[in-house]
Amino acid sequence: MSASVAFADIVKMLEKCAPGHTIRLANHSRVIKYNNLSYPSLPKFDKIEMGHIRKMARHLGILDCAKKFGIA
Amino acid sequence: MADTIQLKEHPILITLRDVVSGDGFLAGITLSGRALVRQEDDGAWWMYGVRPSAIADSGTTIDEAFSRFRTRYKEVLFDMAQDSRDFDQFRAAVEQFFYEPDADGEDEHLWEEALKAIRVTKCNPPEPFAHLPREAPESKPAQITVERLNRADARFKPSDNITDTYSVPMAHAA
Repeated sequence: MSASVAFADIVKMLEKCAPGHTIRLANHSRVIKYNNLSYPSLPKFDKIEMGHIRKMARHLGILDCAKKFGIA
Repeated sequence: MADTIQLKEHPILITLRDVVSGDGFLAGITLSGRALVRQEDDGAWWMYGVRPSAIADSGTTIDEAFSRFRTRYKEVLFDMAQDSRDFDQFRAAVEQFFYEPDADGEDEHLWEEALKAIRVTKCNPPEPFAHLPREAPESKPAQITVERLNRADARFKPSDNITDTYSVPMAHAA
């Protein structure tokens, strides 16, 4: 299994890197919205594999900022 | 025999067909998409969506990565069906998901660059991609169709059935 990050740490990163973002719990996934972009496939686990975070950060345009937190 | 090419990002074509139930509707979704497959430093294979972009999943093999990617995609469709009050809203959500690129278009750029590298060198894909089917992206454009199935004039045929597949681009244009 790939390296994982606690969801709480992802929220901290989003608060700094994606101000105004929203997180919604759907039936199967978390839906993250920011800057008119939507990432509807973040797993609902407590710990999330790095590849998911990397893809979400790239999709939302916050990859450079997320890397500063060491979680992408 | 042609040489193999070493790529960090492997371009993949994917084909998926789903039937999803929503609130008062039944929808058929056929996806012809793009993804990048990459082996990360820890050895895991990751399939990163390009079209659609906002999705990824991993496995210890590329087959497992595709299987988990496929399940995650299906779950996104299920969530969208759950959150849509009617078919039109569902179709709009699915189409937005498919056509929304990442913020700077980086993954699409990487996909095109990887394809270009394959075409320039005319090399075979390396293991574990060597035995995958090969298709011409030109004959299989990235697109998604979302069709309402529960309508009076709907006609169903065996040829509507499509197997889930992932393939590598051919080393020459179609």
